[in-house]
Amino acid sequence: MWRRLIGGIAVLGLVGAAAYASFYVAPEERTMGLVQRIFYLHAACGLTMFTAFFICFCSNITYVFRRSAAADALAVSAAEVGLVFSTVNLVTGPIWAHPAWGIWWTWDARLTSAFVLWLLYIAYLLLRTLVEEPERRALLSALFGIFAFLDVPLVYGSIRWWRTQHPQPVLMGGPGSGLEPTMLKVFFFSILAMHALMALLLIDRFGLEKMRGEADIVRRELEAA
Amino acid sequence: MGVLSNTAALLGKELRTEFRSRELLTTTIVFILIVLVLFSFTFDPTVGESRRFGPGLLWLAFLFAASLMLQPCFLRELNNDTLSALRLSVSDPFAIFLAKLGANTLFLLLTELLLLPIFAILYNIPVAAVFAKLVMVFFLGSLGVSTAGTALSAISAQARMRELMLPLLLLPLLTPVLVASTEVTIGLLDRQPFVQWKGVGFLAVFDVVFLTALWIFGEYLLEE
Amino acid sequence: MKNLDSVFAAYLIGWGIFFVYYLTVARRTAALRNDIERLKNSQNRSK
Repeated sequence: MWRRLIGGIAVLGLVGAAAYASFYVAPEERTMGLVQRIFYLHAACGLTMFTAFFICFCSNITYVFRRSAAADALAVSAAEVGLVFSTVNLVTGPIWAHPAWGIWWTWDARLTSAFVLWLLYIAYLLLRTLVEEPERRALLSALFGIFAFLDVPLVYGSIRWWRTQHPQPVLMGGPGSGLEPTMLKVFFFSILAMHALMALLLIDRFGLEKMRGEADIVRRELEAA
Repeated sequence: MGVLSNTAALLGKELRTEFRSRELLTTTIVFILIVLVLFSFTFDPTVGESRRFGPGLLWLAFLFAASLMLQPCFLRELNNDTLSALRLSVSDPFAIFLAKLGANTLFLLLTELLLLPIFAILYNIPVAAVFAKLVMVFFLGSLGVSTAGTALSAISAQARMRELMLPLLLLPLLTPVLVASTEVTIGLLDRQPFVQWKGVGFLAVFDVVFLTALWIFGEYLLEE
Repeated sequence: MKNLDSVFAAYLIGWGIFFVYYLTVARRTAALRNDIERLKNSQNRSK
């Protein structure tokens, strides 16, 4: 109980510190001004989303070959948490883009892949609600999760090659393509903070899923009695 | 060579079953036709516009049709309780998938080729000169659609609301196929036709990735 | 301050989404905990 509280406060502290750094430590960007600072939240969420979905992918593979309930619990937790980060990523993007470039949305590789990824994992969670038997649900969603994740680089590649119309703004190229050193440090710190937040949400969600398994067992015992 | 002979036998069965009634083919062809007609109302089908939008709409129609056509693929086995018999009849479950996706690819390809002349007429785009190359891109695209679609059909058949579930799972997954196939087709239907080999290669990669995934994970899709 | 409202909106909405998700997980966990209590009680009663 105390560990959770301390952990929660630590994460909040990190996230708060990252936000502070985004506003007061990072220098102001030349062309976009203040609004560029959304980048630290937006891009960090994007990368964290990927980590979460990668954890989901690994759990899916583990489930298919090991059939452990813990792997299934981790998979659905990682998918949900990943979806949350994905949503924040997709929402903060347009809020940044509109004042910065005058458009709400552009169908470039990164954004479109993010959107398709969002749709795929919504489908993943929807699939889970439509299969009742727990082991079948775990297996089917694991298999779909694997196919979905394998698709991601293909989606990105296809759109990058044929649909990216706008030249990538220097900053959007990610670290190492024009970010000033202080900005880079703030960016990495934001990534760290977001991952800490992801870990916190993941642990909580995983706990919930394990509890569900427990409830199912008790329910089954009751029915058997 | 057990897998190949099993596949051949099962493929024969799939084709015979379909060609006996031809209901899947007929309904799919009519559906694509309806979609093509409806699409024509959404933009001004001059030759220039048709060249730009036509290929994308054509492939979109194929994708929609496939997500409907692939429904019965495993549903039929589940409803008739023939899945376990099917699994016992082969040494390698991959043969079942190869046969089904082979059949689905052929059915898709057949409907696409039957509709190509109609598309050419309705949208005023000459296709005769590039017909062979179009067949190539239709084949690679349809193979990708069928591979992913057959796998996902096995998944959605075991879920509730399966009619809605298959398109929901399949269509986002097929975005790379849509993009690449459309691009190659646009190149082929251009005033000066050319082959976008990058796109062709990409489609081949997609097919290989999903065929491999199906090979590795297929047996788990058929678990009871 | 140009675009302050956009930055404000982005961070507010972003954190809002995280917070709402955290709350839903906490709520579901509490509800499930009550459920398990209830089930265990009826299990003890039937023994």
